Amino acid sequence: MKLPRRAFLRALGSATVAGTVHPLLAATTRPKRIAIITTVWTYQSHAQHMGDRFLVGYPRHGRWHWPPLQVVSLYVDQTPAGDLSRQRAADHGFTIYPTIAEALRCGGQKLAVDGVVIIGEHGDYPRNHKGQILYPRFEFFQQCVRVFAQDGRAVPVFNDKHLSYSGDKARQMVADSKRLKFPFLAGSSLPVTWRLPPVEIPYGAKLDEALMVGVGGSDPMDYHALEAMQCMVERRRGGETGIRSVQLIEGDAVWRAGEEGRWSKRLLEAALSRSDSLQGDSELDSRPQDLANNGQLPKLVKNPAAYFIERNDGLRTTLLMLNGALGDYCFAAQLASGTIVSTQFFLPPTPNVTYSACLVAQIEEMIVTGRAPYPVERTQIASAMLDRCLDSKVEGHRRIATPELNIRYRAPKVSRFGG
Amino acid sequence: MMRCTRRTFLAGTAASLALGPRTWAAERRRPRIAALTTIYHKYSHSQHIVDRFLDGYGWAGRHHRPAMDVVSLYVEQVGDNDLSRERARRHPRMKIYPTIAEALTQGGSNLAVDGVLLIGEHGKYPVNEKGQTLYPRYEYFQQVVEVYRRSGRSAPLFNDKHLSWNWDHARRMYDTAKELGFGFMAGSSLPVTWRQPAIDLPFGGQVEEVMGIWSGWLDGGDIHVLEAMQSIIERRRGGETGVRAVEAFRGERFWKAMAAGSWQAGGWDPRLLEAAFARSNQLNSPRPTYSHALPTTEELRRLAPDSYAYRFEYADGLKASIVQFKGNVVGDCNVAVRLNGGSYFSVLFYLPYYTMRNFFSPQVHHIESLFLTGKSPYPIERTLLTTGMTAAGIESLYQQQRRLETPHLAIHYQPTRHSTFWRT
Repeated sequence: MKLPRRAFLRALGSATVAGTVHPLLAATTRPKRIAIITTVWTYQSHAQHMGDRFLVGYPRHGRWHWPPLQVVSLYVDQTPAGDLSRQRAADHGFTIYPTIAEALRCGGQKLAVDGVVIIGEHGDYPRNHKGQILYPRFEFFQQCVRVFAQDGRAVPVFNDKHLSYSGDKARQMVADSKRLKFPFLAGSSLPVTWRLPPVEIPYGAKLDEALMVGVGGSDPMDYHALEAMQCMVERRRGGETGIRSVQLIEGDAVWRAGEEGRWSKRLLEAALSRSDSLQGDSELDSRPQDLANNGQLPKLVKNPAAYFIERNDGLRTTLLMLNGALGDYCFAAQLASGTIVSTQFFLPPTPNVTYSACLVAQIEEMIVTGRAPYPVERTQIASAMLDRCLDSKVEGHRRIATPELNIRYRAPKVSRFGG
Repeated sequence: MMRCTRRTFLAGTAASLALGPRTWAAERRRPRIAALTTIYHKYSHSQHIVDRFLDGYGWAGRHHRPAMDVVSLYVEQVGDNDLSRERARRHPRMKIYPTIAEALTQGGSNLAVDGVLLIGEHGKYPVNEKGQTLYPRYEYFQQVVEVYRRSGRSAPLFNDKHLSWNWDHARRMYDTAKELGFGFMAGSSLPVTWRQPAIDLPFGGQVEEVMGIWSGWLDGGDIHVLEAMQSIIERRRGGETGVRAVEAFRGERFWKAMAAGSWQAGGWDPRLLEAAFARSNQLNSPRPTYSHALPTTEELRRLAPDSYAYRFEYADGLKASIVQFKGNVVGDCNVAVRLNGGSYFSVLFYLPYYTMRNFFSPQVHHIESLFLTGKSPYPIERTLLTTGMTAAGIESLYQQQRRLETPHLAIHYQPTRHSTFWRT
């Protein structure tokens, strides 16, 4: 193996991927102060996994890393049985405030933190007719924006997972961040977790087609899968050009679409070749199997779903949600050169869920440097495509033209996954 | 001291039973493989390995099917959970034979296969007073060699995990393979599985101290950690020079070594332990309600009081420890290295923990290469050395943690320059 010096240095933790001195290693005079705004802080909630890393450190580049950040305030919307926020505040000396504005001002008159981490996942919130959980991320964000506007100063904001269940709200959030000129980072941990194997789409490569395979319920898990696919395809020639149309189909129509070539069976074989968790006979007695081609898929997957996302530059991208076939998230794409790139987005086990350490490292970098390491448009477009796919689902699985998803951006060249 | 010189190599080829071009290639047919195993049930090594030859496996973006056929199977123990009969029914090409000799000859009188899988792991076998399970790998190997000699022909052989629980057996197996000149590959799947991050020691790098950690499984687990560690440090400047001495630690001595603060003070570099913990995906949190935190030494002692360690002194001065946390500390194997000059790197040897246990896929990939080329893709000397280190570590534990000189482990070899772990 020819070991790239860059990768080795990164592993040593002595340099960034780019090979320059890491800003986090530069001497810092005082830790940056952060506020955490969350729905709920119970064991194994996102707030606990991510919030704790600011309090007790986390693994990074082969060291136990203590971030130069200090949690000074917390807003928590719900405190059900199992709430840990009170104990954490007592153990780590931060204050819980009754409103978001007070948390951001630390009880004073003016914004008193250097960064805001919004974690609006978990907790008891209603669902709408599309099956989306109405987490109040937009509302939390708006309250932050109001403080920034009133106090004449804005600080970096991280928003966990999709910006909102609503594509319109997501657009407004991004517009607010541009209007008030603050760094804004968001999204899932899948784009930054370890990959098996550790590959990227070559930057600027022409893509013929991309396929993502995932599992789980609609809205919580399909979001992860869509953003994982997005972080791969955004590197294609010309960058992201936006979305022309979406369609979500379910049931046997998914298999028929495969026969008709609407999604690639060859890419399904490539994606499933990366899975460690095939079901059926593999679960029964541990034998590997050629699940893409052995005819077992329709028996294992009772209600498949295909999310067709057609891009403005003509690229066809598809998410197959195959509950019952596997338990992990795998991707495959065919380059115009004929090469097929495939990988698994690796989700390390509970309780450590070290993928969240990979994400916290990105949050830390934004707050310390004042620059989001990757564009929030990635999260915006993934939020919006999911919202519109769910429209298709409840509107008879029709194809929906999406001129409003004309979201164009360039991905960074530098890879950000692993740690 | 053992050194593979040109002379011993030539001596080996003189007695070689490998007769020129590979038979299967000359006969324009697929290679035929015999699988010899102690037991065949779900999660047994034989199931994971032989199934991949029978049913194929995911590899590099395809469902890969090996270009060879398992035609004969010997299974020593058949219990209620046996899968060998089901496999033979579904793959009629594969016949089950009652003896190793018959499996190798397909019921005839001469060797009739082009490769041998020897998988002596799992099954009910006695455990000796030192805690070693007496798997009959050496005995199987001897029966294979008997057929080779009788047939005047040999075939490449893969031996799963360490060569034997017993050093003398292992040495004899190695010497016999050299004498007869057949391709001999062995070892754990850890050296070839995914790494996080996917890096290796730069070839010729200078290493001062190394540590491997896992969860305290004497013998069967020791070999995995040692093989993982060895697959990295064998790449150091000068190549492998062997091991001079071993010393085991358990009980109060272990915790004293843990607190010592350095090798010189009788323990190990604590930063190596931190670097290893910082790669784990399965680090048990020492504190209730926290899902991921770095344990203190006091917490480690509370979580895993019966932990043990081996310290190995290599002939070239390299210092190596494996620390086995017996209890709920770490669920995966991690190795950390301190390079000359004081920089560190560490890797997780990731074993996909789902039912399929896909870490067997890269191992089978390399076994296929052994059968197709007749040559082991990485040196058998690695496993010879780690077999000896495992036995020596256990011996030191057994002899009240006495430091033992290991002149028999002066094993020299050069690794392949290219890395052989899973990256594609």
